[in-house]
Amino acid sequence: MPKTNRIKKYILPMLCAIAVMAVLGAGVVYIRSYMEQQTVQEKSSQLEEIIAQIRVNLEYGLENHWNLLAGIEAAVKGTHYDSEQELYAAIDGMQKEFRTDLYGCRMMLLDSMGMACLDEGRVGIWDDIDRIADGQIHHTFVSDTSNVDGTYLIFAKKMELPITVGTDEKKYTHLVMLKDIVTLKKYYTTESYGGNVATYIIKENGVQAYYDANDADIIGVRNVFKALAEAEYIQGRSFDAIKEQVDSEGIAAANILLDQTEYYYCLASLTDYGMTLMLLIPSEYVAISTMNMMNSTIRVMIVFVFFLILVMMLALISVVMVQRSNQMVKIEQENNQELQRLKQAAEDALNVAETANKSKSTFLSNMSHDIRTPMNAVIGFATLALTNVENPEKVRDYLSKILSSSNHLLSLINDILDMSRIESGKINLEETEANLSEMLHDIKTIISGQIHAKQLELYMDVMDVTDEDVYCDKTRLNQVFLNLLSNAIKFTLPGGTVSVRIRQIHQAPEGMGAYEIRVKDTGIGMSREFAKRIFDPFERERTSTVSRIQGTGLGMAISKNIIDMMGGTIEVITEQGKGTEFVIGLTLRLQSERRTVEQIKELEGLKALVVDDDFETCDSVTKMLFQVGMRSEWTMFGKEAVLRARQSVERNDAFNVYIIDWRLPDMNGIEVTRQIRSLGDDTPIIILTAYDWNDIEEEALAAGVTAFCSKPMFMSDLRDSLLAALGQRQPKSDYSLPSAGAAVDFTGKRLLLAEDNELNREIALEILGEYGFVIDAAENGQEALNKIAASKPGDYDLILMDIQMPIMDGYEATRRIRGLNDPVLSEIPILAMTANAFDEDRKRAQESGMNDFLSKPIVIEEMLEVLQKVFEH
Amino acid sequence: MKKKKLISGLLCLAMTATLLGGCAGQKTTEETADGKEKVTIALWGNQLLEHYTEYLCDSFPDVEFEFTLATNSTDFYRFLNDHDDLPDILTVRRFSLKDAVLLKDMLYDLGDTELASTFYGTYLDHYTYDDGTVNWLPTCAEVDSLIINETLFDEYQVEIPTDYASFISACEAFEEVGIRGFVSDFASDYTCMETLQGFAISSLLSMEGREWRQKYESGATNQLSEEVWLPVFEKFFDVKDGIGLGTEDAQMVNRDPKDLFIEGKAAMYRGTGADIITFPGRGEDKVLLMPYFGDTQEENWFLTYPTFQIAASKKAMKDPKREELILDIMEAMLGQEGQNHISYGKNMVPYNKNVTLELLPELENLNPYIDENKMYIRLASNDMFRVSQSVVQKILNGELTTPEAALADFNTQLEQADASDEKVAHIDNAYANEFTQKHGNQAASAIFNTIREENGVDLMFGQSCYVASDIYEGDYTQKDLSYLCKNDGGYPVIVTLTGDQVYRLVESTLALTGNRGSICNDSTMYVSSGFEMDLSKNEENGYVLNGLTVEGKELDRSAQFSVLIYSDRDWYLPVILEKIGCEEFNADIPNCNQYLYKRLVEDGGQLAEPTDYLKLR
Repeated sequence: MPKTNRIKKYILPMLCAIAVMAVLGAGVVYIRSYMEQQTVQEKSSQLEEIIAQIRVNLEYGLENHWNLLAGIEAAVKGTHYDSEQELYAAIDGMQKEFRTDLYGCRMMLLDSMGMACLDEGRVGIWDDIDRIADGQIHHTFVSDTSNVDGTYLIFAKKMELPITVGTDEKKYTHLVMLKDIVTLKKYYTTESYGGNVATYIIKENGVQAYYDANDADIIGVRNVFKALAEAEYIQGRSFDAIKEQVDSEGIAAANILLDQTEYYYCLASLTDYGMTLMLLIPSEYVAISTMNMMNSTIRVMIVFVFFLILVMMLALISVVMVQRSNQMVKIEQENNQELQRLKQAAEDALNVAETANKSKSTFLSNMSHDIRTPMNAVIGFATLALTNVENPEKVRDYLSKILSSSNHLLSLINDILDMSRIESGKINLEETEANLSEMLHDIKTIISGQIHAKQLELYMDVMDVTDEDVYCDKTRLNQVFLNLLSNAIKFTLPGGTVSVRIRQIHQAPEGMGAYEIRVKDTGIGMSREFAKRIFDPFERERTSTVSRIQGTGLGMAISKNIIDMMGGTIEVITEQGKGTEFVIGLTLRLQSERRTVEQIKELEGLKALVVDDDFETCDSVTKMLFQVGMRSEWTMFGKEAVLRARQSVERNDAFNVYIIDWRLPDMNGIEVTRQIRSLGDDTPIIILTAYDWNDIEEEALAAGVTAFCSKPMFMSDLRDSLLAALGQRQPKSDYSLPSAGAAVDFTGKRLLLAEDNELNREIALEILGEYGFVIDAAENGQEALNKIAASKPGDYDLILMDIQMPIMDGYEATRRIRGLNDPVLSEIPILAMTANAFDEDRKRAQESGMNDFLSKPIVIEEMLEVLQKVFEH
Repeated sequence: MKKKKLISGLLCLAMTATLLGGCAGQKTTEETADGKEKVTIALWGNQLLEHYTEYLCDSFPDVEFEFTLATNSTDFYRFLNDHDDLPDILTVRRFSLKDAVLLKDMLYDLGDTELASTFYGTYLDHYTYDDGTVNWLPTCAEVDSLIINETLFDEYQVEIPTDYASFISACEAFEEVGIRGFVSDFASDYTCMETLQGFAISSLLSMEGREWRQKYESGATNQLSEEVWLPVFEKFFDVKDGIGLGTEDAQMVNRDPKDLFIEGKAAMYRGTGADIITFPGRGEDKVLLMPYFGDTQEENWFLTYPTFQIAASKKAMKDPKREELILDIMEAMLGQEGQNHISYGKNMVPYNKNVTLELLPELENLNPYIDENKMYIRLASNDMFRVSQSVVQKILNGELTTPEAALADFNTQLEQADASDEKVAHIDNAYANEFTQKHGNQAASAIFNTIREENGVDLMFGQSCYVASDIYEGDYTQKDLSYLCKNDGGYPVIVTLTGDQVYRLVESTLALTGNRGSICNDSTMYVSSGFEMDLSKNEENGYVLNGLTVEGKELDRSAQFSVLIYSDRDWYLPVILEKIGCEEFNADIPNCNQYLYKRLVEDGGQLAEPTDYLKLR
């Protein structure tokens, strides 16, 4: 664009802006001027109003004096006195009679030559005699007559009839009242200006007759009108105009500069008295409120106008800037797009990095938090097994629990590895058959160590669960339970209680079971604010109590994710200092071949007494008993239980079984057992407890307890307990190894185990040796390959190939083996055996030529199943 | 272009110079050569030359005063104002607001000055115009009533009068023994006016009289009220008849009654407080100042008037510094010391608050009248002077025989203008009434040369300040011509002197102090006509005679000269003639203005050329 065109482009908006600013400026000036004029008018009007009132007061006061004088004249006119002395006495008399002192006045008589007489005698020819010698009857003026000291307002009147004195009838023609000018003050004093007003009484010729103010005379000259005429008039008026207004209207006001100070003066003519009253006030004291209002209005206006101007300038600058930048817009847009693209790429990269970092963080957190729990069980029970090595029963029990915890730990490790995938949404639930009773008992087993260690009470309960065989991802549901319980234990002080209650809600669709699981503690609780964020990752409440408890804050987030994935809900009910309750709502698919809940023949018609201080438990157990064909009664008190037992015996309708809660409010279950036994009743008694009964087992058995049943008591638990108690079945074995050679005989089968880890090699050799395998081992892929390559067909029936090995990994070794020329050797079944158990690992193993996949640590059942499958083929 | 500008500039310069040259006949500067500020003061009378001028010169050493003896009327200032030549400070004795109003716009308003504030408001009101302006302020009051020779009364066992009847009785008693009971210089206008008013003060101060006076002074009327004034004329006729005044009295001039009084040939005369001091009877006589007597003692009043009024030219006050200076000078004039130097300081009554004046023992009986404020202020308009003189003289000469006729004549004359506006002369050359070291006072020289020529004397010797104004080029009315020389203070006399006496005349005059003919400064220096003076100022600022010449040749000490002396006749002349040993003089000659009138009007001539009569070293 040519330069001139660009200039032209800017000139127009600039001119417009200047014009607008000029108009605004002129507007401000005009408005200010207008407001000042209005203020002057307002001040003048106010002054005129005040002086008008003063004038009324003054005229009223003067009239009163005239009335007084008229009264005196009426009393004395035409009077004759024999001597001057009598006259003086008469003057004194009239002053007293008419109380002229109250008016600040004294009386004077003038003879025809102007000789003045007071009550004290003659005081000479009156100085002001010429003032009254003009043919008029009445005269009022201010005088500083030399005849009498002081300044007076004079009221002089020619009497209708003169007073005569002496034999020569000397005439006194005028009655004069001298009013001390100071006493006039009350008629013109105004409170309006706080003592800042100066009052002037001015003669007709403009000469000051009297001045009164707190301060020195501002005008300072004799001729006030002349001073006013020479003063500087701020509003362009002149004294001539003011005087003209006074002459025509009686009152006028104006503002002037005197000694660089603005004053307002107001004139009011007292026409009948030949005087003018003037008030003089510094402008700052006149109409102060109006002035303040005007100033604030002007300030606001100026601010507003400046704001407008600022806006205009900004608008102008914007217009110029926009015009200037238009040309650069395209380039900038292109640059921006490129930048945006780069930025997006960078953000993507960052997100990836952050995601990865987050996964890593999550992994580490879970490792530290969740692994520790089952690990504790393993260590704890291993320790117990060592200490009870002489007691094979206990060792067996402990080992089975170690095995259970280890299995959970293994599952957990897998799941922890999967958690990174939870974060990226890649996790898939693996629904398997599950039994709620088993699950809860397993969990109870896992956490009981922690419960015991922290001196807590664990209470597990079941309500109305009729369907305990379901499909679910057991591992992850366990994980949720463990998370919730671990937290409950963690945040509950010793002596507190942790409870789990599972209830089946019979509103689920066909084939489904709806469950409500409540995990509750009497711990420290949470604040409402934190409860809202409890399911966010890494959230832990920052309180003095909580901060002392270690944790990653991931547990609840994981639990929430898992529950969400299961289509359930999880809520928290908490109150600080009182405890926390998590409520999980889950709808699980029921197993089609669920366990029989049919009535059990052996139990039909038998009568049971349920004793539990918890009504819900009583109700639930009663229902379950009914389902198995039994009759039942229940009570919440131990004493009543004993009473009922007695009564039943007495009525010959004795109970066939007692199911008694260990802890009752009036007496514990053992005592109840003892008392029932004391009745001679040997009816089986099952002690129901939510706690570990190991400590009381000996006492209980001594008291006559038949069997124990731990809460939560599902139907299966009840049935098994009843059958066991009634001698119908042996208690189930907790655990047993799968029987070797149950389906396939592996004896003599030759295996090549490629495993770099010596411990793993040993375990594998031990387990596989149990099943009859002849095993050769290689420490890496290369060695395995060499051994196969060097072998003859039939030397090896199967290769178990670890993946991660030094020198040559399993994938490569498999590919080499598959690439051997000897078809027999190259087709030897190869099973991957790796800790890398993800789906992609499986896929990769398949791609490398492996036949199947075993994950470490080795699950024997799984291994046998796979081996069986391989050899069958 | 530049050339044209230069030429224009030069032309302007030349024109300015020309204009300045054209003003050579007038005073041109307010500053003298020695850097002193020049201030012109027109003195109402030559008695101020005694002490007052000297007091001012001493009080303001940095001021070069230019004193002139003004004709004692506000009309004189009107004349000066017509020529834009008002002095800086004006004084006048004959005063009425009615006359002074013509000068109102030319004079400075003193109303708001410190000066005005020293006056009682009531007095100040008498000088205040309707618009509040105050131009004039009064000095102390001169008391102008009856002076009686108490000793003479005692000698002739005549009762001191206490009222009008006893006054007439006393006059009659003295007439019977050949002594004039009461005399006055009825040839003078002020005596006529004052005696007319003085004997009828009670009438004039009645309420009606005061009311009429206010109307008259405000211009509301120009006629005497019959109610007020007929009794006045009746009283005067009664006085005339009672005392026996007649034509002789009408001829008496200023000194005549005083001479009779000091010679013991008159028992009473109309005089002032100053006169008591100057003319105290026969030397040892006890004299008293008495009031004008009324019918009763209560109606006795003293007649007073301000010794003089003082005003300032507005033009002189334009410069604030000069305004301040002039106000300072006026304050000195009106202050305590200034008023002490007016006359003798003991025969006056002050009007302002801050001045206290003692009264002479002869004036002690004034005190009760002062206390009672029984001081009548004369009605002193120009018309009153003029017409009163005319009417009283007519009464004394028997031309007016009844009070009614006198009243009518008075009113008639009040209707008539006092002078014609007709131009009777034209003066071609202007001369400045200003003393210069080189030429002396050129205006005075021209006047005096003319008078000398007209009179025909050999020499003339007169005080320059008797010429009160510049001589303006232009037309003059008869009245204007009367202002060329002062008539009411300076009286010319002719003496015959030897050359030696002429030397002594000059030397004595130069040495004279405390006299109405004293030289105070250059502006009051004498002017010689027909001879030249060679003077020098001595260390005491006095003037010393070095020599006298006639047309450059030393004045012959043995030769005889007819000399016209023009100065104060009553205070200067007797003293100076005594000093030079001259006993005879001829006063029966026309006044100075008459010579000028003859030259300029009757002869249609021009004033004589001024001469360089003075060499001042």
